[in-house]
Amino acid sequence: MMELLAQVEYGPLAVKPYSTEWLIGLIVTFLLAAGAAIGLSKVPANFRRPIVSIGTFLCGLIYVLYWLWPRPVNLKPDQVPNGMVEQVGKGLSDTLPLLADVANILTSFLLGLGVYSLARIHFGKIIKRQSDRGFSWVLIVSATMISVFGFVDYILRSQDKAGKLVDRENWGFFNVGQDIMFDGLLLQMDSVMFSLIAFFILSAAYRAFRIRSVESTVMMASALVLMLSLLSPIMFQWNTMIAQMAKGMNIPNADPSIPYPGGFFHNLQISDWANWVKGNLQTPALRAVDFGILLGALAMGLRLWLGLEKGGVSV
Amino acid sequence: MPWTPQQLNVIDAVKITGGVACTIGLYSILYKETKLFRFFEHVFLGLAAGYMVVAMYKESLYPQWIQRMTGQMDDAGNVTQPAMFLYVVLLPIGLLGYTVFSRKHNWMSRIPIGIILGLWAGQQLLNYWDTASPGIYSSMQPIIPTTWSSFVEPDKFGLTPDQIKALNQQIYPSQAINNLIFVIAILSSLSYFIYSFDTKNRAMSTFNRIGRWTLMIGFGAIFGSTVMARFALVIDRMYYIWVEWIQALQKAFGQ
Amino acid sequence: MIKEKLLNIDRRILYGLLILVTVIPLRCDQKLNNITDDYSNAFYEAVSNIPEGKTVFIESDWTTSTRGENSGHLEALLRILMAKKTKFAIFSVGDAQAPGVFRGVLLRLMEERKTLGLPAYQPFEDYVDLGYFANAEGTLQAIGGDVRKVFEKKSIRDAEGKQRSAFDSPVLSNVKSVGDVPMYIVVTASNTIDRAIERLSAKTTLACMCTGVIGPSALPYFQSGQLKGVAIGLKGVFDIEYLMANGLNLETKESVKWSKQPDKTAQPITVGKTLDRGNRYFLSFMCAILLLIATVVTGNVMMFVARAQSKPQGDEA
Repeated sequence: MMELLAQVEYGPLAVKPYSTEWLIGLIVTFLLAAGAAIGLSKVPANFRRPIVSIGTFLCGLIYVLYWLWPRPVNLKPDQVPNGMVEQVGKGLSDTLPLLADVANILTSFLLGLGVYSLARIHFGKIIKRQSDRGFSWVLIVSATMISVFGFVDYILRSQDKAGKLVDRENWGFFNVGQDIMFDGLLLQMDSVMFSLIAFFILSAAYRAFRIRSVESTVMMASALVLMLSLLSPIMFQWNTMIAQMAKGMNIPNADPSIPYPGGFFHNLQISDWANWVKGNLQTPALRAVDFGILLGALAMGLRLWLGLEKGGVSV
Repeated sequence: MPWTPQQLNVIDAVKITGGVACTIGLYSILYKETKLFRFFEHVFLGLAAGYMVVAMYKESLYPQWIQRMTGQMDDAGNVTQPAMFLYVVLLPIGLLGYTVFSRKHNWMSRIPIGIILGLWAGQQLLNYWDTASPGIYSSMQPIIPTTWSSFVEPDKFGLTPDQIKALNQQIYPSQAINNLIFVIAILSSLSYFIYSFDTKNRAMSTFNRIGRWTLMIGFGAIFGSTVMARFALVIDRMYYIWVEWIQALQKAFGQ
Repeated sequence: MIKEKLLNIDRRILYGLLILVTVIPLRCDQKLNNITDDYSNAFYEAVSNIPEGKTVFIESDWTTSTRGENSGHLEALLRILMAKKTKFAIFSVGDAQAPGVFRGVLLRLMEERKTLGLPAYQPFEDYVDLGYFANAEGTLQAIGGDVRKVFEKKSIRDAEGKQRSAFDSPVLSNVKSVGDVPMYIVVTASNTIDRAIERLSAKTTLACMCTGVIGPSALPYFQSGQLKGVAIGLKGVFDIEYLMANGLNLETKESVKWSKQPDKTAQPITVGKTLDRGNRYFLSFMCAILLLIATVVTGNVMMFVARAQSKPQGDEA
């Protein structure tokens, strides 16, 4: 199985494009797969869960085997693996890009579900003549426009063998339209949506960032130190002042022009406080959170892989 | 016929003006939710959904699926990539996802999802080890000083690389204290997440409280960093409106 | 009356103030002083000292939604690489919109080079644009396994716009595995840096340029050595630009002095632009931070004042 998957690009399953054998292979494979899918729809209810679980398990198993199986060391791309162990190891390693493709392609198909749902909701609103159906029209028209302009732009660029469209001067109506809709509107609105949060943070900080308990005080102090440290031109002046003071007290290496205070005077720099907080308190706190997340992902991964996740694959 | 530079400037001005209109329309939510905001909100959703379809096709489905299934030939008709018809299997599997809308067959939508989840789940063993092990290793910091020649680490300016290397190998008392704080911080933060057994005894609850404070300090620092991120986006928007737009208009329509 | 108003400032006044304090300083184009962060110094030192003739991988996973930070990151990074004539392969695994955005940055930098009279950085010869790969997890796992298998099917355009195989390019011809790449740099606005660390940190040297939101979660990886350097948010942009202009641990007066690692040095960039977006935005950023601090302080002071006033009333009751 591994060898078959790994060598699919170079074996009998890879043929000349648009040849008769390709067409026959394509049709037969599609009919077989579609037949299998139709056959699956007739499967009794008690077999459904095992089918999904086995599929999930086999897909995960390839990665687990890749992790556990010994791999040939320093094997060059054109070198033939030596013995069964090396062959399987190389086969597993060669299979990873194929698996990435499979996941990408299936993800792309499934993303279509989101678009379909969105279209269903908004066409539903228009058909039912709801009061806010005007906005649904706006959504559908803008989605259609960018799709049409985007696809035409893509086709024009694919057919542009001479590379004329690399220069903007040679763009046509659809290239310009796509650029206006994508770069001029979509990307800018994307940015606006994210930037709105800044306004809400400011308002929320004013209303909710209050000294009410030890925890909130600790949190606010840490946030203030970090925010002050971000004001680096001001911190530069502050550090210069500290370094001047240190130089006045003949501290070795103190140099206000860098500014570098040297010795104990380092501890008076707010940027150093922030670094200390980040290095000794923020990093361990976040690492602890990360360990928790990783353990959770590992546990969830095992549950999904072994079919123990009731919600995930119960059918 | 190619566009003239002046025509391109006008196109740029139109494009940026559109962006500015969208920016102001979406910012109108800051005053209150208006029809203007809802209009631009729906334009945004429509453009995002429409573009996703195009992007998924041209960046993923075409190069990774269709092109491999049909193969590739250069202009001279030589095969540069053989056709792998087996890729067509993914079409019925992918379409099974759409059975989610069928009451009778919706269980089949779990097959493509199961494949994706299986592939994800299999990677977690590798990921855990590759990610966590350097973190665990670097958390085991030395807490006993190796030298008492100075309480704090001496200045390194003016030293040779060998002298710096020798200094870096020593643990000074101030570093040992910092390392101890680091170790306590990480252990106490971890202990805060222990829910498997009773942690009501005094020592454990004190340790937990330290963990909670450490986490609060961490979250405070995250707040500061998040604020930086969001403010940077507002500044960029203001730059877009007040500098880029005005410049584009000036270029297109003269001073 | 004033107390009442300060205790309950209308949110729209705060919003208006934020717009004012960010707009006004934008017109001021002054070179600012800076205290650079350790992780920014480490990043600049690592990128500046990439061996000649090697190819760098750039995973650009951001869109215009975070242009304020990531655009500055990518511009600074590309300027360093172009000044040092380092070849690079750029691609995205995080967002289908991302290639459109990094292509915009590349286009802008090419225009800039043309205006400054610098030689053009040619696609295919000096860099390759590999576009988008969906499914970050699977793609990165595969890149770690066999990078040639992942990239070889991507046909790219050369300087004349002709379609060629990615590995025909001199940029990728010497890359047999991801370990051959001296540095894999992730410019991101999302957790794709975690995905890269999980799958690639044992195989190559990673560095990261990320938004302020992602930055704190990247720092533990810097501490553990899984990331060679990190540039975080707008401060990261400002740091890198400042280091590009002044250099690191050099004998010159302007050079940044990194007291923790005085033996690590990096030359300034002498070709093309250095200070740009980071320096330009930073004054506005400082004003916005000061406004935030002022509002938090006001909120707390007024809360204590109100509490002090309500206490005697409570006692009487």
